[in-house]
Amino acid sequence: MAGLATDPFGFAPAIAVFPLVAFVVALLFGEHLPKKGALPGIIATAGSLAISLVMFVAVGGGKTHHATLYEWTNGAAQSATGVETIAFSFGILIDPLSALMLVIVSLVALLVHVFSLGYMNAEGETGLPRYYAELGLFTFSMLAFVFADNLLMAFMFFELVGLCSYLLIGFWFRTKSAPSAAKKAFLVTRFGDYFFLIGVVAIAATFGTVGFAGEESFVTAAETAIDNEATLFGFDAQTWVTITGLLVLGGVLGKSAQFPFHTWLPDAMEGPTTVSALIHAATMVAAGVYLVARMFGYYALSPTALAIIAFVGGFTALFAATMGVVKDDVKQVLAYSTISQYGYMMLGLGVGGYVAGVFHLMNHAFFKALLFLGAGAVIILMHHEQDMWEMGGLKDKAPVTYYTFLAGALALAGIVPFSGFWSKDEVLFDALIVGLEQPVILAAYAMGLIAVFFTGVYTFRMVFLTFHGEPRSETAEDPHPVGWAVKAPLIVLGVLAALTGLVNMAPVAHVLGVDITFLEFWLDGEYGAVEGLTYHEYSETVAFGESYVGSETVTMLLSAGLSLGLALAGAFTAHTLYNVPEPDRHMTKLGGAYGLLRRNYYQDEYQVWLAEGLTLPLARAADRFDQTVIDGVVNGTSTISLFGSDRLKRIQTGIVTNYAALLVGGFIGLLLVLGYIGGWFA
Amino acid sequence: MMIEALIAVALLGALVTFVAPNRIAGKLAFAISLVPAAISLWLFTAFDGSGNALLDGELAFESQTAWLEIGDYSVSWFVGLDGISLPLVVLTTILCTLAIVSSWTPIDERESQFYGLVLFIEANLIGVFAALDFFVWFIFWEAVLIPMYLLIGIWGGPRRKYAAIKFFVYTNVASLVMFGSFIALVFGLGDSVTSFALPEIATAMVNGGPEGLFGLGGTALASVVFVGMFLGFAVKVPVVPFHTWLPDAHVEAPTPASILLAGVLLKMGTYALLRFNFTMFPDQVELYAVPIAAIAVISVIYGAMLALAQTDLKRIVAYSSVSSMGYVILGLVASTQFGVGGATFQMISHGLISGLMFMAVGVIYNATHTRMVTDMSGMADRMPIAVGILIAGAFGYMGLPLMSGFAAEYFIFFGSFGSELLAYSALFTSVAMFGIVIVAGYLLFALQRTVFGPYSLETDYDVGRAPVHDVASMVVLLGLIIALGVAPDLIFDMITDAIDPIIGGER
Amino acid sequence: MTVDVQYYVLLSMAVFCIGLFGVLTRRNALLFLMSVELMLNAANINLIAFSFYHGNLTGQLFALFTMALAAAEVAVGLGIILVLYRNFRDVDVTVPTTMRW
Repeated sequence: MAGLATDPFGFAPAIAVFPLVAFVVALLFGEHLPKKGALPGIIATAGSLAISLVMFVAVGGGKTHHATLYEWTNGAAQSATGVETIAFSFGILIDPLSALMLVIVSLVALLVHVFSLGYMNAEGETGLPRYYAELGLFTFSMLAFVFADNLLMAFMFFELVGLCSYLLIGFWFRTKSAPSAAKKAFLVTRFGDYFFLIGVVAIAATFGTVGFAGEESFVTAAETAIDNEATLFGFDAQTWVTITGLLVLGGVLGKSAQFPFHTWLPDAMEGPTTVSALIHAATMVAAGVYLVARMFGYYALSPTALAIIAFVGGFTALFAATMGVVKDDVKQVLAYSTISQYGYMMLGLGVGGYVAGVFHLMNHAFFKALLFLGAGAVIILMHHEQDMWEMGGLKDKAPVTYYTFLAGALALAGIVPFSGFWSKDEVLFDALIVGLEQPVILAAYAMGLIAVFFTGVYTFRMVFLTFHGEPRSETAEDPHPVGWAVKAPLIVLGVLAALTGLVNMAPVAHVLGVDITFLEFWLDGEYGAVEGLTYHEYSETVAFGESYVGSETVTMLLSAGLSLGLALAGAFTAHTLYNVPEPDRHMTKLGGAYGLLRRNYYQDEYQVWLAEGLTLPLARAADRFDQTVIDGVVNGTSTISLFGSDRLKRIQTGIVTNYAALLVGGFIGLLLVLGYIGGWFA
Repeated sequence: MMIEALIAVALLGALVTFVAPNRIAGKLAFAISLVPAAISLWLFTAFDGSGNALLDGELAFESQTAWLEIGDYSVSWFVGLDGISLPLVVLTTILCTLAIVSSWTPIDERESQFYGLVLFIEANLIGVFAALDFFVWFIFWEAVLIPMYLLIGIWGGPRRKYAAIKFFVYTNVASLVMFGSFIALVFGLGDSVTSFALPEIATAMVNGGPEGLFGLGGTALASVVFVGMFLGFAVKVPVVPFHTWLPDAHVEAPTPASILLAGVLLKMGTYALLRFNFTMFPDQVELYAVPIAAIAVISVIYGAMLALAQTDLKRIVAYSSVSSMGYVILGLVASTQFGVGGATFQMISHGLISGLMFMAVGVIYNATHTRMVTDMSGMADRMPIAVGILIAGAFGYMGLPLMSGFAAEYFIFFGSFGSELLAYSALFTSVAMFGIVIVAGYLLFALQRTVFGPYSLETDYDVGRAPVHDVASMVVLLGLIIALGVAPDLIFDMITDAIDPIIGGER
Repeated sequence: MTVDVQYYVLLSMAVFCIGLFGVLTRRNALLFLMSVELMLNAANINLIAFSFYHGNLTGQLFALFTMALAAAEVAVGLGIILVLYRNFRDVDVTVPTTMRW
């Protein structure tokens, strides 16, 4: 590596180190600093953003960076593929994907920090140093996760991200509900991470390496194993790759809140809204999908794993969207929309649409951060009231919040030309062309398509109930004002939500025949990439066939038209029902379906039952068994010996004469026995 | 002579403390215990050994003096350290110092005797890890029991007598089984050994094994001895189903005794398993790998399930120790570099983390006089720093990356997943790994109920901030935990160096 | 003239049996002690008789030891009896059974 001055990548570790320093500073000195520790966080994330942008530019200039920073440990590998030694290390991999993600994460983190000044400091919260310290640690973990160059390092920071979300969701620990939600979030994701850890161990034990990139990567090793038709752990290589891939996917499903591990996410709304923004847009939940993108080469080797990813994604998209339709709490609606949107990303990645998935990840980061921060602004306006039925009419009183929120909503619903449209459309297009060959994927596509309609409904239901109509409560008539720290991040994100879609307008590019799909070029290594980690290499590996309705352009337009039409239909439905001065609770008319949706398809119930109805009684039974049977045997041994000696001690009468008699008797007896053996009586 | 110095300082310190006035005993014992801690840290930096102490390794700080002749066998004072025992000695001296500091608050009667016993136990523990002659080792091994028995029996909780006697008798009976087995082995080895020096016996075992005894053939005798010794050590570790003394002892023991019990005394069992069973009996390890792995997995899952059902914080940590020790057994039986190395690493790591957990629980107990999960809520409100450290320790226990617990568990899982010796290794490992979910379940559940939520306390004690000395010692432990988690090679290198001869050869 | 050794043995046996009988039947601690003394002296007779018979002085030496021992024993025994009497107002050996368990 050249000196720091000439090589921009020399600064790369600082991206993660800055927030770590902010964590330490805020934790130790936060109480004595102005703004209670917010400033170190803001400076650190701004620094991270600056360096991330330098990285971004450098990657754009055709450079990439892959270096080991520090070797954690090494040793004998005993791998199934014959690799003898294995090293576990911390390394940095900066390629188009991670450079892009670094910018997204550090930008959102910076905006969240700034917004917190208005949301937390201005509201006179206690425990702010703790809050900013945890935010710093959160940002550190996520950034380190993003530039991780191997699976183990990714897992480690993946776990740390989980810890930070636990701490932040439980920030208001004096309530009953926040600690419970935090515990649930950690436990459900831990359950997923259990599979992830098996996956990490299995991959390390199989291929003797955990690297993402280069000749030494496990992806390359897996390809070789499949080509050699090797047998790994009793399975043929293809099956084993599928199994390990699905194990890692367990962690992804947990963190990205995909069915059936989605239940923690709505509860996680117990945390401060700023934290929700960070969790949903750029860190915790994004980590799962990012991991799939990061090791996409591995999944590309296994059509089965991809199909499962796609199907789970499509199903979750629809499943969560339907639940979002009936929620009354503005944050709950957003929570279900997050689950649904990550379903789209999984669908996109699962059908081999690497660019589409990452594109949606990027757009979603911006518009979801915007929506959450907007919701945070609304909550400030409403004096911490979150029920949408208490709002209404905020449009005129808070125009900045309204228009930025609207931009986010349009992006979320997928209305042209806002960012969400372009990426969602690309996901659905990729799903459609593969789906025409694969019935499973077609089903996933169909679910994703129907979910577009529901997305339109819940998004605009939320917008109309919150901002339109007449104020339905006193606070809504006289809202609390918001300051610049709230407005500035909203404006930045609003602009991004409106515009980021323009970087990859695939339909326009096709129709007009111009090269404006910049993100695809970016991810395809047009500017610079690490070998093996590019879109077309992934596409070559993915074994899905594709076909079109008519020509490619026709299919593309058809797909775009369908999704846009459905989104508009959803928005129009919401407009009809809710954009009136005094809206009714129309959703209650759904009858049984309403109840089912309000109870979230009873997903929480069965999972709580698994924990409290099954595991806990099982534990208690084990405890009883332990106390009675196992300890009973131990105590029984002691009881028996005590009882026996209690009987035996009775020959000790305390009367000397008896002892003398026993002595004599014993002596005579011994004499007789010895005599008998000696042959006296023969 | 450095090891002798270590033991002598602790022993003399124990005597001096024993006769010192109660008033100054705590501070005096602390000052004295700093000497062994300093010496052991110096040993750590000056360590120049390599290889395994029992299998022709280069011993560090070796010292051997002829002592007795018993029949055809000679007994000698033989001590020395290798990469396995040195970290354990350092762990012992550090934990003893911290245990003394954490006794300042709770121990308020017969102080000089208490601190004297703690120093006495320290001397014996160092002896256990350093001794390389079976007789010397066994003397230290048994001598550890006495002070611990007294610590529990005199300064313990309401059921201290029951717990102390159960602890003493149970582990002592186990020692008897182990002792008998080992002596049978030595006699079975016949003329190939002339002393009780462990390296000689280990070499004889590896080079051919016993000839036989009492009509048993060599292989049969080796198997019987292996099983007997395994059972003997299994009580000490403890593994299911020999674990029931542990929760009773922990619950009744005063906090400092719990720290030593969980932190170091349990490691005697695993250390002995590694030194005897898994070093001297390679064939038997292979033969019994599957049942041992099954016991390990059952310990992990069953211990964790038991912890889930408890409402006493100390019982929770006690049962979770059973679970953690299950990982150690799994790593040992895997017989791979990462498996055995990870098991040794886990001994150190668990010593630090469980010590920290007991310390934190003790601090809360000192303030509230209850350990019942149901009696308190919202402690984070009153003792933010102590609770913060408790949470950090709990996450360390759950295997949070960048803390030593994760490194240890990851090494064990990685080592055992691909083990060629153990059949169904991937399956065993995967099942055992489920422990990381249950451990998160019970610790988070306990945290949710005790330290979070609105503040309330069933007992009417005034809860203030934790004392500075307690916080300081917890911070030291937390620092060590994080240091080992970030840089496991601080000790993992020397461990693997000592492990390699054990798993060497074609295995 | 010399007496044959078997008569000494007979005498010793008789004295021993008297002593044994006393130990087994007497309840008075003083008589008990005297019976023990008889048994000790029976052994002494044997020692001296066989010492004379073999022309070896070792037996006589041991007899001296035994006598010294007996003297010590009487001292301790009488002490115990005194304490016994002080505590129980009696010297019956069947009374003080409280120290058995």
